[in-house]
Amino acid sequence: MPFHRAFRCALAVVACIVAVAGLAGCGRGSGGGGADSDGSSEEGRGQQGGTLTVFAASSLTDAFGELGRTFEKRNPGVEVRQSFESSSTLLTQIQQGAPADVFASAAEEEMDTAVEDGLVQGSPEVFVRNREVIMVPKDNPAGIREFRDVARSGVKLVLAEEGVPAADYAVEILGKSNEEYGSGFKQNVLSNVVSREADVRSSVNRVVVGDADATFGYASDYTPDIRDRVEVIRIPPDLNIIATYPIAALKDAGDPGLAQEWVELVTSEEGQRVLEKWNFEPAA
Amino acid sequence: MAVGALALVAGFISLPILSLVLWTISEDSWRAMGSPEARDALLLSVRTTAIAMLIVISIGTPAAYVLARAEFPGKRLVDALVDIPAVLPPSAAGIALLLTFGRFGLLGKYFDAFGVTISFTTAAVVIAEVFVAAHFYVRQAAVGFAGVQRDVEEAAMVDGAGRLSTFTRVTVPLAFPALVAGAVMAWARALGEFGATIIFAGSFQGVTQTIPLAIFAEFQTNIDSAVALSVLALGFAFVVILAVKYLTRRATEYEG
Repeated sequence: MPFHRAFRCALAVVACIVAVAGLAGCGRGSGGGGADSDGSSEEGRGQQGGTLTVFAASSLTDAFGELGRTFEKRNPGVEVRQSFESSSTLLTQIQQGAPADVFASAAEEEMDTAVEDGLVQGSPEVFVRNREVIMVPKDNPAGIREFRDVARSGVKLVLAEEGVPAADYAVEILGKSNEEYGSGFKQNVLSNVVSREADVRSSVNRVVVGDADATFGYASDYTPDIRDRVEVIRIPPDLNIIATYPIAALKDAGDPGLAQEWVELVTSEEGQRVLEKWNFEPAA
Repeated sequence: MAVGALALVAGFISLPILSLVLWTISEDSWRAMGSPEARDALLLSVRTTAIAMLIVISIGTPAAYVLARAEFPGKRLVDALVDIPAVLPPSAAGIALLLTFGRFGLLGKYFDAFGVTISFTTAAVVIAEVFVAAHFYVRQAAVGFAGVQRDVEEAAMVDGAGRLSTFTRVTVPLAFPALVAGAVMAWARALGEFGATIIFAGSFQGVTQTIPLAIFAEFQTNIDSAVALSVLALGFAFVVILAVKYLTRRATEYEG
């Protein structure tokens, strides 16, 4: 019995040590691509190996996914890791020291904050623009035919969280629409909101599964895989707001060369072609 | 060595808690604790978990008794079924609930025909909480009931007590510590519920945005208030654990 107990204690200690060591190891592992590998990365680059970590607005999921594969083909051995979330979440994570090499935001505001906080290497570049649209389920249960219909009472509208660019643009558009449709318009639309989602892709998915009657998304979110379930309603051009997307390499980039190369790929003719294919509009 | 291991465990748990509390002192996020978002989230969490627990206890208690005492065909299957929500990732549970009660869900489409929609309502939050938490109560309660000697129940019946009054006057009091422990586990699970709720119920202040969802939402815009909410949840958890320890001690003393 004493032996048995001692054995159990020993086992517990070993388990704790393994757990703690494992956690520490994880921390170091993910940091390896980022902040603390400045010294070793110089040799690693060019020949092979290395990781590029891109933090990008969730609307860029498909276009950057494709560009990531292009980048890996061009730089054998390099692994591109991408995290797609709302620009505001990504900014918070970068501020908290997340190991990111490149930041691509769906709005100037988040990028400006990153610049003010001294997180950005060089100056950001606007690389693409995007147009807001209304999306409704194909069977359109709320019968939304034009933009102003989203203000009708009873429409279940889903928006992204406050602070997420797609939602902030939407609110700006509603403010402009007040002049056109009457002063209660914005208020009526906002009182139709039934849920606030983490990012624009999540809010579009609410329409894809059919639980929401409408959402604000980007033209680029109308991807081929959802076209048989979702209908797009245009927002009148004079009321619409064009989202501008800035990109920049980050100061803490593990491999500044790779980060710069990514920015160059995105702004190159080829990068622009891929972005246009996914319904983005050229920056200039 | 064993003492060292315990110290390691205690340190591993208390350090993150300490970091939370320290942040509120240094960053002056006290004000955020009184914000309307925080108040709504707290009230909603209290309300939904209370309703969820009411449902879990009133249905779970007789169900657990049957599970502990009766033999019936398919019992092992039912037994396993009860455990599934505890093992299933909550986000998977959320998808499952959406496909059942969502507007185009298996049941949801019939509800919708009657003009009842569940997604994006407080009811959806309660459903998610019941789904993930029921297991913890039912399992514990069944163990508690199984521990009550059959002869004690039979003696009460011989003395003229009916089945129901035997259950409520003899069986339940004897199994009480287990029932309380199970209820606390279930309540804690319901309070922490995140994945199933955000996927199935959505997130809207005062309607579906419980404390965990509010923390997630605030994290995107204002870390101070995310920390404040986390500290609030911590305090809440602390109070409940102390209350339960007190109650169960009272209950066991009463028995002995």
